[in-house]
Amino acid sequence: MTDKLIYLWPEVTLFITTCLVMVLGLSPQAEVRRLCAWVSAVGLTVAAGLAANGEPDPNALLPNIMPFAKVVIAAVGLLLLMLLAGTVDREYEADIESGKTKFNPLRSNRAEFYSFFLFSLTGLMLCASAESLIWLFLALELTSLPTYIMVIISTRGAKSQEAGVKYFFLGALGAAFFLFGFSLIFGGTGATHFDDIADSIAANGINPILTLGLLISMIGLSFKIAAVPMHFYTADVYQGAASPVSAMLAFVPKTAGFIAIITICAAVGWNYGPNHTSLPEGLRLVLWITAALTMTVGNMLALRQRSVKRILAYSSIAHSGYMLVGVIAGPGPVGGSFTSNGLAAVLFYLLCYGFMNVGTFAVLASLKHADGSEADDIDDIRGLCSTHPLLGWSMVLCALSLLGMPPLLGFVGKLGLFTSAISAGEYAIVIVLGLNSAIAAVYYLRLIVTPYLDKPAEQDVLRVEKVGIITRPMVAVISAASVIGLVLVAQPLIEASSRAGVATRHGDVHAVEQAAALRDDINEPRP
Amino acid sequence: MLEVLAQGAFAEPMASITLAHYLVLSGAMFVLGLVGFVTRRNLIIMFLCTEMMFQASGLALVAFARYSMNLDGQTFVIFVLTVAAAEAAMGLALVVLLFRKQESLSAEVWNQLKG
Amino acid sequence: MDGCIATTLGAGDPGAYLPIFLMIMGAIGFACINVVGTLILGPRRKGETKGIPYESGMTPVQSARKRFNVRFYLIAMVFLVFDVEVVFLYPWAATFSNLEPQSEQAFTWLVRIMFFLLTTVVAYLYGFRKGVFKFD
Repeated sequence: MTDKLIYLWPEVTLFITTCLVMVLGLSPQAEVRRLCAWVSAVGLTVAAGLAANGEPDPNALLPNIMPFAKVVIAAVGLLLLMLLAGTVDREYEADIESGKTKFNPLRSNRAEFYSFFLFSLTGLMLCASAESLIWLFLALELTSLPTYIMVIISTRGAKSQEAGVKYFFLGALGAAFFLFGFSLIFGGTGATHFDDIADSIAANGINPILTLGLLISMIGLSFKIAAVPMHFYTADVYQGAASPVSAMLAFVPKTAGFIAIITICAAVGWNYGPNHTSLPEGLRLVLWITAALTMTVGNMLALRQRSVKRILAYSSIAHSGYMLVGVIAGPGPVGGSFTSNGLAAVLFYLLCYGFMNVGTFAVLASLKHADGSEADDIDDIRGLCSTHPLLGWSMVLCALSLLGMPPLLGFVGKLGLFTSAISAGEYAIVIVLGLNSAIAAVYYLRLIVTPYLDKPAEQDVLRVEKVGIITRPMVAVISAASVIGLVLVAQPLIEASSRAGVATRHGDVHAVEQAAALRDDINEPRP
Repeated sequence: MLEVLAQGAFAEPMASITLAHYLVLSGAMFVLGLVGFVTRRNLIIMFLCTEMMFQASGLALVAFARYSMNLDGQTFVIFVLTVAAAEAAMGLALVVLLFRKQESLSAEVWNQLKG
Repeated sequence: MDGCIATTLGAGDPGAYLPIFLMIMGAIGFACINVVGTLILGPRRKGETKGIPYESGMTPVQSARKRFNVRFYLIAMVFLVFDVEVVFLYPWAATFSNLEPQSEQAFTWLVRIMFFLLTTVVAYLYGFRKGVFKFD
C-alpha cells in the first residue's frame, strides 16, 4: 500500500491545491479571491507534469493506464478550468467592487466551485489508480458528489436547481446500484483487491453471484457514463446546468465510469469465448445490448431536439455507446497494435471526446442573449460563422469531429473502435456502430450547416452577443485547433494509448485452462 | 442458487443462520428501496430509499466478509457509511433549499426541463 | 488470572504507577484549564435569553413551526465531519496497538493518520472562514 503512494503524487498535489483554494476563495480581499483560478491552474499543471513523469505500476491489472489517463485528465481539466472560470459569483463580485454589498462568506460560492471541480478531478485520477473495489467506490463517489453541487450553484436560476435535484437523486440511485454490485463481486470472489479478484476468477471460474454482481455494477456505472438503463437524466441536467458545467459533466463522470468499467472487466479478463478473446458471455451480452441501445436511443432522440445543449447531451449518450464497443472488443491479441486493441481505442476516444465536446460547449458558453440568459436554441448559432467567425468555425470543426469526419481527431478515435471490434470478430456491433454514425450525421450536420450556411438572424430580440469572459472563446478556439492539431501528433498519442490499454491478465489463456483442468480434477469423484 | 449459498453455514454460534438468510434480507432491502424510489414522489422518501439500498449493500458486505473470513468487507462498510453520511448531508441541504424555493417536496414540481 | 495487571505494571514499585498518575493529572488539568479558560476568554452576556433554563439558542416556548437560523444546519455539518472522522480512528487505534513499538511501520502509520487528521483541520479552517462559528 505504501509503495502505491509513489504513483499518487498527482492526486496529492491536486488535493493540496483543493485545500488551498477552499480557504483562499473565502478571503475578505477580492485580490486573494481572484487567485483561486490561478492556483487551480498551477496545481493542475504540476499534477500533469507529475503524471507525465509517472512510472507504470507493474502490479496493476492495467499497468500503463495511470500515466496516460492522468495526463489526459489534467490536460482536459485545464481546458475545463479555463471554461469554468467566471461561471459563479460574477454579479456578486461586481456588486462588491462597486460597493453595493459587502463580502459575505456565506453567500459566496467561488471557493466551493473551484475546489469541488478539483475534488472531482482528484477522484477521477484516483479511479485510474484504483487497486481495490473500496478504492474504486470511493474514487467514483469523490468524482460525482462535487458535480451535484456544481450543477446547482452554476446558475442562480431554478432550472439549474431542478437539474441538480434530478442529477443528485439519480446519482444516488446509480451509486447504490454499483455499490450493491461491488458487494456481490466481493461475495462471489471473497476479495476486494482487483489482483485477488482476478486470481480467484482464474482459479475458481465465474459463479452466479459474481455474474449478478458484475451485471448490477454495470447498471450502476451506466449512470456515470450516461448509458441506456440510466440515461434519462442526461438531457435535462445538461440543459439545466450552465454550459461550462455541462461540458464538465460530459467528460468527468464519463471518464470515471469508463475507467471503472475497464478496470472491472480487466479483473474478469477477456479470456472467454471461442477464441479466448472475449468477456464471459453474460457480461458480454449485457455490454453488447447496452452499447447498441445506447447508441441508437441517443442518436434517435437527438434528431428531434431544438436545444443545442440537448443535442449535445444525446450525442454524449451516443458516444458512450460507441466507446462501449471498445470495451466489448477487449485488448485484442497480446502485443497487438492500436487497431486491434479496444481498450486503447476507448482511452484514445476519451481524449478525443474531451477536446471536441469541450469545444462545442465552449462556443455555447461564449454566447449569451441580450438579457443575460444563456444561448441554447439552435437559432442562437444561426450564421455564427459570419457574425462571430472564430466561434462559428470552432463549432463547425468540433461538430465535424464529433461526426467523425476523416481528417479530424474524431475520425482517428472512431477508426480505432471500428478496427478493434472487427479484429475481435464482433461484426454485428460494428454494423450497429456504422448505422448509428450515419444517423448521427443528420443532427451533426444541423450543427454544422446552421452556423455556416444559414443567414444570421435579423435584428430581433434574441440576438446573441459574446460574454465578457475572455477565456471561453479561447477554449473554443483551442479545442478546435487541437481537433486538427492533435491529428498531426496522433502517432505518439496512439502509441501511448496502446501501451495504456495493455491488460496483464489478458492472453494468459494457459492459466485459465490449467485452472479449468484443476477444477475438473477436484470435481471428479475420487475413487 | 440459494442451495449453493446455503452450503456454507457460518461457524458455531450462528450455525443455524446461513449466508443465504443475510443475502435474502439484503436483496429484499435493495429491491424495496428501488421500488420505493421509483413509486414515491416525496423527495425525502426517495432519498431514504437510496439510503436503504446503500445499507442493503452494507449488510451483504458484512455477511460476505464473515463468510469468506476476509475483513476487507467490513472495512468497506465503514467507508460506505462515510459516503452515505456525506450524501445525506448533501441530500438534506438540497431538500431544504428546494423546499424554500417551491414550498413543496414533491418531485413533480420539478418539470421545467422538457425536450 | 490474579495479579495479571499488577505484574505488568510491576507491583510494589510505586514508580510504575507514574504514567497513570500523570494521566489523571493531565485529565484534571485539562478540565481545569477549560473551565478557567472559558471564564477568562469567553464573552459574558446577561439577558433574558441567557437566563432561561434550557439554553440552546432557541426560545423554548413558542410555535414549533418557526424557521430557525441556517447556522444550526452548518454546525450540524461540522459535527458530521468530526463524527465521521472519529469512525476511522477506531480501527486505526485497534490496529496500531498491535504494531511493534518504535518500528518504521508504526511511524508510517502515525504519519498517515496525522495526514488524515490534517484534513479535519482543513475542514475546520474552511468552516471558520465561512463564518460557521460566528453567531451574531
